[in-house]
Amino acid sequence: MTSLSLIDVRKSYGATPVLDGVTLEMGDCEFIAFLGPSGSGKSTLLRIIAGLEMADSGEVWLEGKRIDALAPGGRGVALVFQQYALYPHMTVRENMAFGLRNAKVPNTEIAARITQAAQTLEIDQLLDRKPGQLSGGQRQRVAIGRAIVKEPKLFLLDEPLSNLDAALRNRTRVELAQLRQRVRAAVIMVTHDQAEAMTLADRIVVMNDRKIQQVGAPMEIYDRPANRFVARFVGSPAMTILPAQGHAASGGYAQVQLKNGTLIQTRVSTADLPDDGEIEIGLRPEHVTVTAPGSGTIDGEAVIVERLGDRTLVYARLDDGSEIVAVDRGDSSVRMGVRVGLQIDGACAHLFDADGTCHHAERDQL
Amino acid sequence: MTTAAHNNRLPLTALFGVLLGAAIMVAPLVWTLLLSLKSNSELMRDSSAAFSAPYTLENYRAILVGSDVPRWLLNSIIVSLGTTAAVLMLCSLAGYGFARLDFPFRRTLFVFVLLGLAIPEQAVILPRHQLFATLGWHNSYPGLILPGLAAPFGVFFMTQYFRAIPKDLDEAAMLDGASRLDVFWRILLPLTLPAQATLGVFTFLGSWNDYWWPLISATTSDKYTLTVGLAAAQMNYAQTSGLGFLMAQAVFASIPILIVYIIFQKQIVQAMAGAAVR
Amino acid sequence: MMERRVSGMVFVLPFIGLYCFLLILPFVMGLWISFHRADLFGSRHWVGLDNYVRLFADPVFYQAMGTTFTLAVLIVPALTLITLLLALALNRASRSAAIFRGLFFSSSVLSVTIVTLIWRFVLTPDSGLIAKLLTAMGIEPLPFLSDPNLTVPALAITTIWWGLGLPMMLFLAGLQQIPQDMYEAASLDGANRWTTFFRITLPSLRRTTILVIMLQTAAQLQIFGQAQLLTQGGPSGSSRPIVLYIYEVAFGRWELGYAIAAAEVLLLLILALMLAQYWLSTRGEEVQR
Repeated sequence: MTSLSLIDVRKSYGATPVLDGVTLEMGDCEFIAFLGPSGSGKSTLLRIIAGLEMADSGEVWLEGKRIDALAPGGRGVALVFQQYALYPHMTVRENMAFGLRNAKVPNTEIAARITQAAQTLEIDQLLDRKPGQLSGGQRQRVAIGRAIVKEPKLFLLDEPLSNLDAALRNRTRVELAQLRQRVRAAVIMVTHDQAEAMTLADRIVVMNDRKIQQVGAPMEIYDRPANRFVARFVGSPAMTILPAQGHAASGGYAQVQLKNGTLIQTRVSTADLPDDGEIEIGLRPEHVTVTAPGSGTIDGEAVIVERLGDRTLVYARLDDGSEIVAVDRGDSSVRMGVRVGLQIDGACAHLFDADGTCHHAERDQL
Repeated sequence: MTTAAHNNRLPLTALFGVLLGAAIMVAPLVWTLLLSLKSNSELMRDSSAAFSAPYTLENYRAILVGSDVPRWLLNSIIVSLGTTAAVLMLCSLAGYGFARLDFPFRRTLFVFVLLGLAIPEQAVILPRHQLFATLGWHNSYPGLILPGLAAPFGVFFMTQYFRAIPKDLDEAAMLDGASRLDVFWRILLPLTLPAQATLGVFTFLGSWNDYWWPLISATTSDKYTLTVGLAAAQMNYAQTSGLGFLMAQAVFASIPILIVYIIFQKQIVQAMAGAAVR
Repeated sequence: MMERRVSGMVFVLPFIGLYCFLLILPFVMGLWISFHRADLFGSRHWVGLDNYVRLFADPVFYQAMGTTFTLAVLIVPALTLITLLLALALNRASRSAAIFRGLFFSSSVLSVTIVTLIWRFVLTPDSGLIAKLLTAMGIEPLPFLSDPNLTVPALAITTIWWGLGLPMMLFLAGLQQIPQDMYEAASLDGANRWTTFFRITLPSLRRTTILVIMLQTAAQLQIFGQAQLLTQGGPSGSSRPIVLYIYEVAFGRWELGYAIAAAEVLLLLILALMLAQYWLSTRGEEVQR
């Protein structure tokens, strides 16, 4: 059964378009993340679903009912705001009860739902405090609690972790994942943080430039990005992209030549690549490993060395000035300024044609 | 208030200056209080009698029984509370409208209101007197209250305050199924209470102490406010029943406002400084 | 979600209506009436600029202007200096400082009639407090309220006593806004108390000082109740400020058009002052950048 569907939703502020025809189907109880940089339109889309903004055209359906003309309170959605937006003059209990009272839910039912939600979120000790007396993490739980008691068909989370410090963010991420198992409802989360999106979502909607760039499961987005934007935006550190010349090679797979002449054999089918044209090659850091100078595919100079413990990231500058990110062992001895060899795993490389479309290595060959 | 800029001990000369200033502040007040506690006949002979016993509450009794002062006090209370309530209502509505709603000419109207801040009372008080005379509104409570309601500062102040409340709160309430009126009444208005207190105290004080307008609008003794009544009393000093009685009126009239001052000291200082800086 | 809707106007219309009726309409009426020979009872005929021409030939108007400026000159510098010193002395966290601040502010909440009532019997030569003190010291009492050389200073003293509170609070607020680390940096640089005061405290109070001076000047240009009640403008008009002049022309001589013309001149003065304040404080910001 579909939960939410968006059909060709468009929105502009005056002459500035912010959404260019967004269409999306959400499965029952699915957790979807809208991932994109600021200005990509993801927050506007969330607000249109919530009813806080009106789309210029297009339709919004929720569980078989068209909702785009309904008031925000009548749509069966709940929104957890980035800054929580708790009512400062009400206690936690009153905050949670406010929406239910407006919906004319009987008092005994209100009390029961609050008790239940408070236990789930471990905020039962805080029910009679005001938001000003709570810590950031506690406010977040109350904001979630206020959404849960409404028993909405769809939860909307606007950058839910962005106001928490690093330690709390990791804990809350785990809690959100657990919570998700308990509430029988679909969830949409807006975020600019790919780690949040990757760990929590069933599917990720990558947005940029007013449009959906790609919809897919987290690993699909990572392994088979649809285009240059998605490839660069998802993954940290970002995929290295180098200009190259494409050459057809035996077996129907493309062979490309870097600016300094180095040849790399890929597993990308030549079928839909431009012939011998200008092309770009994309390499995830884990597909470039550091070796002794002269022993790898290409040599470069280590510019930055980031020691992460389990592995070391080496940012190397090639002789033509372009930069490439490579991975070395955790106990790597590479220091800044030394020359290193780089072993490129061409079988995992992606190729981008002139309009930015990404071509992937054929998977059944791997 | 804290500072580490100066040593925490006041230098002796400064301490002496402050004490001297305080003495100058207090001396007239004490003098007034002492005079008010003396019998008029004794003061008639020599006002130095104020420095020595016997003291009496006779003058205060005379105020409460058989003088117009309680009536003036009542008028002042009605006019000041009426003005304050109406200003709070009008400015809250307008502040919310300007801060949260969009309607044709919103910006133009707001600028139009701000221009009113530049018009001093002297430029409007005489024509307004004419206007009210034509309408037959003088010597009435509405006639005393209405001029206080054209308060551009209050609208400016409330608009700023509403603007400072995050819009998320309105939206959260709308998602909670609240109507626009609910949002205003149950979410935003309770949050503006500190501003209401500041503006309310400021308006009350201004209305209570206003002299120019009630002086020309209230010309019959039964509609005098305290300020105008006391002015009349001191103008007619020669004919009134004496110095002690007059000073008792001054003390009596000061008590309500000093009580308000002691309770709302913080709001008064804030409001006056706010209005000055604006 | 801000939809442009006419219904939003409902919230602002009650105020706008009253505002137009009680402030804008009288303001426009005033400009109109100032071009008329008009009395208090509604008779009017058009005289063009005649009221203004007469005004600038009226020695009593000039006398009132002179008195007003004298009052401003006596009050504003003294008040500014006294309140600055008080603020510097009372800008500390102690309980006694709070009590003194409250005391110096307390006179500001009294109405002008109470203030004049109190000061009349401080200043009056036969039974006043000052007279008693001077007599006790063997000095002849001064006729504050009847000697033309003493009435204006008497009004100034009363006004300063009445108006200390607000400028003191403004200076205190200004002092509170000076970042503490500036003082710490100065003391590390070995600045002594005086250097710190003249190089850090005073320059930081520049905007507050401009504000205080302008506010006080605007207030003193409109001084009214003290003069009307304490000296009735006398003797022979020596203590009659401009607003009292306007009041007397309107309600003593019933020449409404002429009185309003004088009020419009005062309005121009006050507007000029506001512009000067705006210009001074914005120019100061540019210099600081």
